[in-house]
Amino acid sequence: MKLATTPEPNIADRIINWAHANSLWPLFFGLSCCFVEEAVAFTARYDIARFGSEVFRGSPRQADVLIVSGTVFKKAAPVVLRLYEQMGEPKWVISMGSCSNSGGMYDVYSVVQGVDQILPVDVYIPGCPPRPEALLEGLMTLQKKIRSRERPARTVFHLSGGNQGSSGGLRVDGRDKARDARGPGYSGCGIRGTAELPPHFRGSRTDLMWTPPAPALELSAPDQQLAAVLAQRFGAAVRPLAPVTDMLTLETDPGRALEVLRYLKSEATPRYERLEDLTAIDESARNPKADADFTLVYHLLSFGAASRLRLKVPLSGSEPTMESLTPLWPSANWYEREVFDMFGLRFRNHPNLRRLLMPHDWVGHPLRKDYPGRATEMAPFTRAEAEQFQPMDAAELLGREGDNENLILNLGPHHYSTHGVLRVVLALRGEEIVDLDLDIGNHHRGVEKIGERQSWHQFIPYTDRVDYLSGVANNLSYLSAVETLAGIEVPERAQYIRVMLSELFRLSNHLLFVGTFVQDLGMMNPVFYTFREREQIMDIVELITGGRLHPAWFRIGGTAMDLPRGWKEAVSNFTSTFAKRIGEYQALIDRNPIFLARVKGVGAISLTEAMDWGMSGANLRACGLEWDLRKKIPYAAYPAFDFEIPTADAGDCLARYRVRIEEMRQSLKIIEQAAARMPEGRYRTADYRYAIPSRDDTLRDIESLIHHFVNVTRGPKLPRGEAYAATEAPRGEQGYYLVSEGQSKPYRLRIRAPGFANIQTLPLLAGGRYVSDLVAILGSLDYILPDIDR
Amino acid sequence: MDFVPTHTDLSPWTPGLVSLAIYALMVFMLIGVILWLAGWLGEKRVNPEKLRPYECGVLPSPGLRPPHPAPFYLVAIFFLIFDVEGAFIFSWAVAMEPLGWWGWLEITSFIGILGLSLVYLWAKGGLEWGVGRP
Repeated sequence: MKLATTPEPNIADRIINWAHANSLWPLFFGLSCCFVEEAVAFTARYDIARFGSEVFRGSPRQADVLIVSGTVFKKAAPVVLRLYEQMGEPKWVISMGSCSNSGGMYDVYSVVQGVDQILPVDVYIPGCPPRPEALLEGLMTLQKKIRSRERPARTVFHLSGGNQGSSGGLRVDGRDKARDARGPGYSGCGIRGTAELPPHFRGSRTDLMWTPPAPALELSAPDQQLAAVLAQRFGAAVRPLAPVTDMLTLETDPGRALEVLRYLKSEATPRYERLEDLTAIDESARNPKADADFTLVYHLLSFGAASRLRLKVPLSGSEPTMESLTPLWPSANWYEREVFDMFGLRFRNHPNLRRLLMPHDWVGHPLRKDYPGRATEMAPFTRAEAEQFQPMDAAELLGREGDNENLILNLGPHHYSTHGVLRVVLALRGEEIVDLDLDIGNHHRGVEKIGERQSWHQFIPYTDRVDYLSGVANNLSYLSAVETLAGIEVPERAQYIRVMLSELFRLSNHLLFVGTFVQDLGMMNPVFYTFREREQIMDIVELITGGRLHPAWFRIGGTAMDLPRGWKEAVSNFTSTFAKRIGEYQALIDRNPIFLARVKGVGAISLTEAMDWGMSGANLRACGLEWDLRKKIPYAAYPAFDFEIPTADAGDCLARYRVRIEEMRQSLKIIEQAAARMPEGRYRTADYRYAIPSRDDTLRDIESLIHHFVNVTRGPKLPRGEAYAATEAPRGEQGYYLVSEGQSKPYRLRIRAPGFANIQTLPLLAGGRYVSDLVAILGSLDYILPDIDR
Repeated sequence: MDFVPTHTDLSPWTPGLVSLAIYALMVFMLIGVILWLAGWLGEKRVNPEKLRPYECGVLPSPGLRPPHPAPFYLVAIFFLIFDVEGAFIFSWAVAMEPLGWWGWLEITSFIGILGLSLVYLWAKGGLEWGVGRP
């Protein structure tokens, strides 16, 4: 609509516009990272209430602004559209963040390339994520638009003409928007980097480069012993692979795998109690060609010996079948479903083998090498698709079609207490949960597929967004794996900086946990206090890294920059007051009888069950196990720090809360020590084969300049091999499994996410309890959707 | 003491009643106008999606008419039983003085019996609203 054709507003227009603009009611709906900044906007520092948008509404019936905050997933798009349709007139749409605007960084099969393909958008806010101020700016822009362009009076009085609410139409690819990743005028050439991507790797120039082989690991005595015992027992069926970089790696035949795994779990010394991860690799694009078509990879963990083991099972055929591991480890349920979903592998005797992450009516298996990775290679996802591809029916999901005894209810994807687009499907008798299932994948950003097309450096920003509340702690998990694979020594100063920032993000995460957890239970106050301190941390993070949620500030072999002037004062200003603050939260919360009644004895899980289900982090420690990777399998500079592992015994919601509160104290201790003892020296390794050379060096010598050019454009070449590394991320153990073919990109990148395993226990925790308990349990598990769906 | 009624016979000519009627009429008219304005003013766009029940953004499962299993009927029955107590006690309270101490004794024993039955009900678990109970 052109401004020139808009008639002058009459007095009624002015009055109605004044009312509309100053009392906009946004819908409480978070899709992704952007929502965290949106939520910050209604806490004290930014105070969105100043603009008349006081309380975000829980129901679309009461809201008139839809802030599409974050990535619009194809699986969630029908939900977004329905919520918009269910809002009353007039209504407006703000598209917040790059993902919602255009797909942003996520040009991937599961993401809609711009919400304007399914909804009319009034205001676009750029940023990834936009700061809270940017949201306020967006809101003011919307107010301006209402005042200047809308003439609601005639519409309101049922006369012809006039206009109000979203007036723009949908955008159509090729007509008024371009999804082309190459930009205008480049239709003659391929997308940057396509030539060296699987399945052909034709244009790869990394073959001409040389790197030293991956460092070979000397197996420890117990590992050697175990390998010998296995050889004795299983003969040639179990073959130790060599050389390895990270852990004892065995290969076995599909027929014997279950037997070997059973032995490792219950008889071997040490016992491998936990199924750390289960995934697959599509071997079809290997160079040179591999014998197998697929490889199943089992990672196991022994709590007693604090060691890991990898078991690889090569499979042949286009859709091979494997025996299910669920009788041994119940947690294998979801892992196998994911492998089925992503690779099309089948599992015999699996209780419920259907798609997990992708929509139930999806075609194809995205992590196969011949599957197109980019959304822009597929037809645009439009309103017609959003109307057609509805989420699976709740009764069908539970296998309770025609159940006339119980009420089948959807809780989520749009719900206050699901902390994101998680869909819980309930069968209720009264308020009692008779049956419960989860429909995840509404936040599947295909990041493992993206990993296969980004260079080792380019992938770092994607890690920030895997667990969007843990910022650089994600970088650390990924880089630990990269640095293990390439044998990169990280300077001590960089290690200390990494520890300090990771712990700051742990605090920031736990603060958000405490605030939202008790808010879900009806306690409004604490969230405003915890967000106040969270903002203090964000200020420090911004001072040091320049970013807030997603700094992407660690680099291979160190960090992006050195600590800036004034960092120490900023950190000590925070640490000197924070211990008192934790006490204040506890004074607010700990003895509140309503809070205690809601959490004590609710959602308890025993330690054995927690291990069997692959739980980790504070959720595991709340069951009484003193297990923290920072102490048990140390990484970065953690061995140099003095701190304790807080635990609790009950394994219920209260225990999980208490462990996290105590963890904040320990993190504070670590930050204080790191700040006090920050060593001098380089902040990034001088091994410029992999690291990006520092600017000073590139200006002084040509070698550094060349390495800078190669590492930034083509990306460093990492040696052939594989490596798994995990860190104690704020939410639990986050691991990266990297398979390298000696290219500048991973052949396969796998993320072992703590939330995936933690949330899978939900039916166990909440079954037979009340809906109100479910809310407490969801809050106490401290999960986050991109961490579950990746 | 003689019983002195606070009101005399109602007469349609009592000025107080006329003003009450006018007042009532005004209230109804105001409510009517507000309701009509709220219903008529503004834009109406009806589509099937908007008329559908809101269930967290997902289509509700079709054809669900489960029985109401919540133990509301227990609560209702207990309420009825104990509410009868009120009927007796209030009527006794109005006539407390003519009934004298004998009446007091009767009502006290009645309350006592009801109290005992409450204790019995409580001990029996009839007031529990727990998982797995009816």
